[in-house]
Formats: sequence, C-alpha cells, structure tokens
Amino acid sequence: MTHDGSQPGPPPDAVQYIERTRSLYSSQPPYRWLHHDPATNPLPWTPITKPIATSRVALLASGGIHLATEPPFHFRNDVSHREIPADTQNEDLRVAHFGYDVRDAQRDPGCVFPLTALRALATEGAIGAVADPALSFMGGIYSARLVRDDLAPRLRDFVLRQRADLAYLVPA
Amino acid sequence: MGLIARVIEASGIPTVCMTSAWDITAAVRPPRSLYVHHPLGHQTGAAGDLAGQKAIVRAALEAAPALARGEIRALPFRWKGPAAAGWEARAYTRRETPTTADGKPNRG
Repeated sequence: MTHDGSQPGPPPDAVQYIERTRSLYSSQPPYRWLHHDPATNPLPWTPITKPIATSRVALLASGGIHLATEPPFHFRNDVSHREIPADTQNEDLRVAHFGYDVRDAQRDPGCVFPLTALRALATEGAIGAVADPALSFMGGIYSARLVRDDLAPRLRDFVLRQRADLAYLVPA
Repeated sequence: MGLIARVIEASGIPTVCMTSAWDITAAVRPPRSLYVHHPLGHQTGAAGDLAGQKAIVRAALEAAPALARGEIRALPFRWKGPAAAGWEARAYTRRETPTTADGKPNRG
C-alpha cells in the first residue's frame, strides 16, 4: 500500500506468511512483526532522479551469503555483515541461514544474492555500475533494536561512503 | 529489511526492496518494493537461471523510479521451478533445519 493507502492489495494467491509463522511456532509466544504505523512513523522518501542506466547500484542482501574463506553467520541475532568483492564468482560463496530453504541458494547464490546478474547488467549498460563491495548479512535477527541501533546505521554509513546512487535490497 | 531500507532512504539514498512476502512487506512498509510471486529463497530467481535472474533484477530497477511512496508493485514473474504447481500450499509449513557453511545440518 502507498503512504496514503491507495495501493491495490496482494495478488490473491500470495502466501500469508505472518499467519503461517504463527501456526508453525504456535508453541512459542507469538513473534511480534515489526509494524510501522504511518501516523507515528512517517516513511522516509528520496526520489530516484538519476537514470538507472547511469546509477551505481549497491547490493545489500540478507540471505546469509558469505565468502567460503570467511566465517559463516551464526544463527541468532548475528548482526555482523560481510563485504563481498563485486567480482566474486558464485563458486566462492556459501550460505548460512536458518530461516528459509537454502538448498537452491547453495547451488546458485543468485537466487537471493544477484551479484552475477548485476555485473552482467552493468556490462550491458542497463545499470551504471555495481558498488564494490556488495554487502551481505543474515536476516534472522529477532531484535529490532539491534537492527535499528547497530546493523542498519553501519550498512547506511557503508553505502554512503561508496557514493552509491541507489541501494538494491534483497531479502531471503 | 524494511527497517534497513528506511534508515538508508532517510540518509538520501533511494532504496529498492525485493519481496516475495507481501504481507510482511505491507506491515513493515519499506519506501519502494517489487513483489515476485516466488517461494522464499528465490526473490531474484531460480537456481541456475541467470537469464531469469537478470530479467527480474532489471525489471525491478527499471520499475522503481515510477513507484509511489510506500508502494508495493507486483512484477509479472511467476514461479516456474521444479514442482511449481501448488507451491503456495506447501510454502513455510515446516521449520527449516539450520545448516553450516557446507550445507550440513547444524547441530549446534
């Protein structure tokens, strides 16, 4: 939905993940999904003014992708991030995440970490460049406070230093 | 991811979020989101399908400048991977087993 609530709803066959999470973990206290109320928490907004074809695009992805030569993420409230050089090949990447079925991402990290695709789009001129390095983290963080006070500002400062024109965020 | 998008957007860099979980994204409300009707773990495409991944990423980035503030827009991609029929009914009905970097079950 848009800020003024005029957005059409989800496709009719969209999976109801919030409801399914409640069923799947019904023995535990209900997970409190982060919910932003536009009345009390207005949405930041920076218009996209530079053409995509000349934009330096920063990739940030939460699928738990990391370099084979670096330590994996651990599995609870790990707010560390990894810097993945923009020329990294898929075979040099691994995945460590507990929140989704990672089998396809193990075969091809491009399912959730489209660095190869972005590089190809830069070569073809569809985007200006891929910001180097790409940033990866593990989205299974149960503390909104840790994300707000630690991970998010750290990633923001990194993207600012990269002088990226646009941040492309891919969850898993 | 929506919280991170908000923090980056507030610093003056526009953000574009992928999503395959419309309801979660609608609750968190990132500045701009592109929805792909895929199982989680495939927000930018199927394994081994670089052409498809490029098509999704390109479509998302090229659609982004026209999005309204807070909009979630569905891109015209449907899951065509293995056992695609009826995947929605099976999605997220069991807890995933944590894995190590080598893909082995993580027994802690």
